[in-house]
Amino acid sequence: MTDPAVAGTELDTVRFPVERGKLAELARAFHDDDPAWFDPAAARAAGFPGIPAPPTATVLADHWRSDGALTSALALGLDVARLLHGEASWEYLVPVRAGDELAGTARVVGVTTRDGRRGGTMTLITIETAFTNQDGAVAVIRRDTLIETAPPA
Amino acid sequence: MSPLPAAPVTLAVGDALPQITVGPLSRTDFVRYAGAGRDFNPIHHDEPFAHSAGLPEVFGMGMLHAGILGARLARWVGPEQLRRFQVRFVGQVWPGDVLTFRGEVEQVADGIAHLALTVTRQDGEPVLRASAAAAVAG
Repeated sequence: MTDPAVAGTELDTVRFPVERGKLAELARAFHDDDPAWFDPAAARAAGFPGIPAPPTATVLADHWRSDGALTSALALGLDVARLLHGEASWEYLVPVRAGDELAGTARVVGVTTRDGRRGGTMTLITIETAFTNQDGAVAVIRRDTLIETAPPA
Repeated sequence: MSPLPAAPVTLAVGDALPQITVGPLSRTDFVRYAGAGRDFNPIHHDEPFAHSAGLPEVFGMGMLHAGILGARLARWVGPEQLRRFQVRFVGQVWPGDVLTFRGEVEQVADGIAHLALTVTRQDGEPVLRASAAAAVAG
């Protein structure tokens, strides 16, 4: 179980480029092969000033974090065999486009415990990451709830 | 596939996301997302690890179907009109699952459309519930 005292802890800050090669990979993974997601000419033809990022593109930060998508969970000592992703949300303040340079700082903003459905105690940890762009503007705020389910009895 | 809208679109209460199905999803789909998003939790690609965690097989990462839904939502309302997107993972996605993506406008106020969205499995069980807000025309 995670110590509730970790609430407020800053986890890490990562700077990363929004690269069109990775945007093309995301588009393929999302079964959406519209070139406007990765080709500058196609994006311009569709009326965009640059290649637009898909709504969940802040995952690209994980390519530059020590343990990828598991960075926060491992830093908090969670057991990945019992780890579930409960919720995620994004607030969009400024459009993100290919070529942007983002910096994201992840912070633990809440730790709660709850009785598990099959006994034991599960822990819910909320992490907030604010992504600032190359102009110093906060572009996206992401929140995640990680769940560590109760250990086997 | 409709073009990706660069400008706000007109939406009214009851308008629906062009419904799509994706799948059957394979382990290759999971691995493709693992590489694109750097999510190498072995529970999503390593069958012996999944078995040791008490699971019958590997399961898909929530951020894969959340990402598919996000891309379809962006194709509907425009990627740069989104103001908020929130997803709750309520069920697991297994190899072979066929997912249906749905969404509907619940309210339009002050130039913002509020949307409710779901992803369900072929047996009708929901795996994700979502809400979103997007700037709209008019």
